[in-house]
Amino acid sequence: MNAVFSWIAACLSAGADALGRPLLAPLGVLPGWLSATLVAAATGVILLIAFKYTSNQRSIKRVRDDLDANLLALKLFKDSTAVTLRSQGRLFVGGFRLMLLALVPMLVMALPVTLLLGQLALWYQSRPLRVGEQAVLTLALGGDAKAPWPHVRLRPSNAVQVELGPVRVRSKRELCWTLKPRAAGLHRLTFDVDGRPVDKQLAVGDGLMRVSALRPGWDWEEILLNPAEAPFRPGAAVRSIAVAFPTRSSWTSGTDSWLIYWFVVSMAAALVFRRALGVKV
Amino acid sequence: MSKRLRLVLLVVVLVLLVPARADAYVGPGAGFALAGSFMAFFAAIASAFSTIITWPFRLAFRAVFGWRALARSRFKRIVILGLDGMDHGLTETMLAEGTLPNLAKLREQGSFSPLGTTVPPLSPVAWSTFQTGVNPGKHNIFDFLTPDLNRYHAKLSSVEIRPPRRSIRLGPYRIPLGKAQVRLLRKSKPFWGILGRYGIFSCIQRVPITFPPEKLRGVLLSAMCVPDLRGTQGMFSYYTTRPKAPGETIGGEVHHVARAGDQVQANLVGPQNPLQPEGGELLLPFEVAITSPAGAILKIGGAKYDLQKDIYTDWIHVEFRAAPGVKVHGICKFLLLDCEPEFGLYVTPINLDPERAAMPVAYPSVYATYLAKRQGPFATLGLAEDTWALNERVISDDQFLRQCLDMDAEREAMFFDALEKVPRGLVACVFDGTDRLQHTFWRDIDPGHPARPADDVIAGRRVIHDLYRRMDDLVGRTMAKCRRKDELLLVLSDHGFGPFRHGVDLNRWLEENGYLTLIEGRGDEEHLAGVDWSRTRAFAIGLAGIYINIRDKYSRGVVEPGAKVDRLREEIADRLTGLVDPGAGASAVKRVYIAAKFYKGPYKDDAPDLIVGYQRGYRVSWETAIGRTTDRVFHANSKAWRGDHCVDPSLVPGILFSSQPVRNPNPRLIDVAPTVLSLFGVPVPDYMDGKPWTVGGAAPAPKAPAPARELAEVAT
Repeated sequence: MNAVFSWIAACLSAGADALGRPLLAPLGVLPGWLSATLVAAATGVILLIAFKYTSNQRSIKRVRDDLDANLLALKLFKDSTAVTLRSQGRLFVGGFRLMLLALVPMLVMALPVTLLLGQLALWYQSRPLRVGEQAVLTLALGGDAKAPWPHVRLRPSNAVQVELGPVRVRSKRELCWTLKPRAAGLHRLTFDVDGRPVDKQLAVGDGLMRVSALRPGWDWEEILLNPAEAPFRPGAAVRSIAVAFPTRSSWTSGTDSWLIYWFVVSMAAALVFRRALGVKV
Repeated sequence: MSKRLRLVLLVVVLVLLVPARADAYVGPGAGFALAGSFMAFFAAIASAFSTIITWPFRLAFRAVFGWRALARSRFKRIVILGLDGMDHGLTETMLAEGTLPNLAKLREQGSFSPLGTTVPPLSPVAWSTFQTGVNPGKHNIFDFLTPDLNRYHAKLSSVEIRPPRRSIRLGPYRIPLGKAQVRLLRKSKPFWGILGRYGIFSCIQRVPITFPPEKLRGVLLSAMCVPDLRGTQGMFSYYTTRPKAPGETIGGEVHHVARAGDQVQANLVGPQNPLQPEGGELLLPFEVAITSPAGAILKIGGAKYDLQKDIYTDWIHVEFRAAPGVKVHGICKFLLLDCEPEFGLYVTPINLDPERAAMPVAYPSVYATYLAKRQGPFATLGLAEDTWALNERVISDDQFLRQCLDMDAEREAMFFDALEKVPRGLVACVFDGTDRLQHTFWRDIDPGHPARPADDVIAGRRVIHDLYRRMDDLVGRTMAKCRRKDELLLVLSDHGFGPFRHGVDLNRWLEENGYLTLIEGRGDEEHLAGVDWSRTRAFAIGLAGIYINIRDKYSRGVVEPGAKVDRLREEIADRLTGLVDPGAGASAVKRVYIAAKFYKGPYKDDAPDLIVGYQRGYRVSWETAIGRTTDRVFHANSKAWRGDHCVDPSLVPGILFSSQPVRNPNPRLIDVAPTVLSLFGVPVPDYMDGKPWTVGGAAPAPKAPAPARELAEVAT
């Protein structure tokens, strides 16, 4: 099952990346707070429109009205305990019906939103390394614990200096290097694994850049959330390569907080445009 | 299992089989929906928790303030189903024919009798008496209309609406400081207000003369005299490409529009701009694209609606923009009348949107919102059924009938909701479609009408009989909801009905008899504008009767108050009683009531001096009602409105069905309020003119002196 999902995820990620790379390129020239706000607001509105056309708006309105009516009934007819209990029961039923009605659009949108978040994570989840700043690179090998270790070598590069490594973590079948970039830019690190070349991106610079922290293995969830580099196929000598990029510190476009900010702003934008777009939520 | 359900289940199973971290936020739409569902769960849990926690306190509170009354009451719930204008004679006939099985069952279970109505037998008067238990001299409602003391213009008798007193100018806008003043002119106190003092909950729906809504322990939805969005009592709009014929006059608002290809563009006319009074009325442009000989698409307010010939749209929300960010909300229905050869579109009066009403239509105001959420938008206009459009032949009989049926369905929905929501206390709901349909379809059962055109009645059509059967069915379903022994169901009407064949121009009669003088050539002006007041001693306006032009009461009064007025009243009453219609050779007036003698109470001087009790078949003429004078006293009535009840009250009693026997021989509408108070174990104030009935076995409690505060309210 994972193989099929991973294959689908790889195709979708590649497509999303092909679209996302040029479309989101302007983020690199805008201040982080502005780009995060614009992207969140725009996607909020787009997703709201998508919700309008993927949900049963008439039923949602009916259920919403019913919920409102039952809430008002609690206030208006509070003299009667039986009526109160009935209204409470109907609120429960209404809540459940609303959840069911949200299910279809939720499922329809889950995938595009995941792809979008994967693209946005490239920009906001980590900060690129600065010149001279150390970072640990971890290459995880494929195969089980008893499998022989391949010969792995990081090709020398003018862009990075190897400070330490490789260090072998036998229990995890991992090799680690400590790197120190020498020049800004989007570099490509190349490893020789039993004589075969394997690449990994490394972003070095000061501003906003697409940062690929992980070149994923053949796992659909990892593939969806790390779309910038092609995943390693099953049976490959390397399972994944990760670089421990530093976290970005910002309320609006910092590590992890960007997601909260995106959530809040997209919700707010949807709330503002909800009536104008005639969407029942 | 439905296809949709199977699909949903499949999706649920797939989701459960492929668990993943909830990294994927699913967008604001679904997010809101999910958040909403959790809010609902939270609200239900919080409310249940609060119910449990507060239950002992509420129990104690009710024991002290509320349950005392219910403990003494004969019934835990009294349901009053008002069927406006349901006629005793016709009901009796249909009962004898066996066509009203549920009402027959109610009669067998309890009782059935005529219900004495008021003088005059008009809905605003009768329902005011119903709710207060006093004669009109104490509640101040004598007619739909009453003359303005300064200008003699007819104005609404039950409500006064004034714009906010102060405003400030802000650029092109005039910002009102405060709200419009809406004042109920009905005096005295409705009996549900008294019930509330004893902790008894009431749900009052669409009882006439409850606008603006008064505070009560319970909920109330107003009815008669609630205006439309334009402030009128129901202004319909008619859009047509047909050119205006010479001399043609159609009431309502007629818009002659042009058709460009298949497109018609026009404006829906809204209220005066509240922020720019001199800027005229607010307009909402709309467009109709004709797609077939019987179909079109309406584009209004950014939305599209299908129009099909002869089929009303659902209620459509319309918004009129008064200023940036300021909108006035209403609801209306559209009806495509014709596409070929001429285009015709009818729009109902724009009702106040119950969810965002520009004026209060319910107490508490969220009750209207609650009903709209529960059942969808509904008519809020006082006289919601558009009899005017039918009278003007803008809409057909069938189209009018459909409108009445739709409104009855709305009323039913709210009534049955009330029955479910109020297990103890009072539920009173008035269905007034019965009144409108009898007014307009009485011609079906009056083949002898002198003005009946050949094409006016479809052979075999039995709208009124169908109406009575439909009401019987409603009663049957109501009985099914009121089966407990501690419940009482009263089905009653405020008056009966009869034919309206001839209109009597009272002003012409007054002129012929030397009581009224017209300015030469101005007799046909409305609102009595053509009257020479310096030489006029009596005049008529509205439906009830005649006013004496008393000095110091009216701005141009000429009759000295006191003995002269008394003599003049007696003289006119004597001469008018037994007035003969020479055309029919029959008496047109059965009795003339002198208000000063007939009414008791602080407001009797505001009544028409003389209330005319017409014979069956007669009524005040259309022209007199609006203050015009014609060239003859008697007019054949040629409007669709050919049933009426503005006759002598003895000729149009209402009905009273009770699920427990009412043992009084001559029950009257005025007795309902004291009876309900008495049955709930609440002392009946002694200012009430009605007398409690003996219902079932127990004798009613004696009247008790009213608290001083209540007396003060009655007197002011």
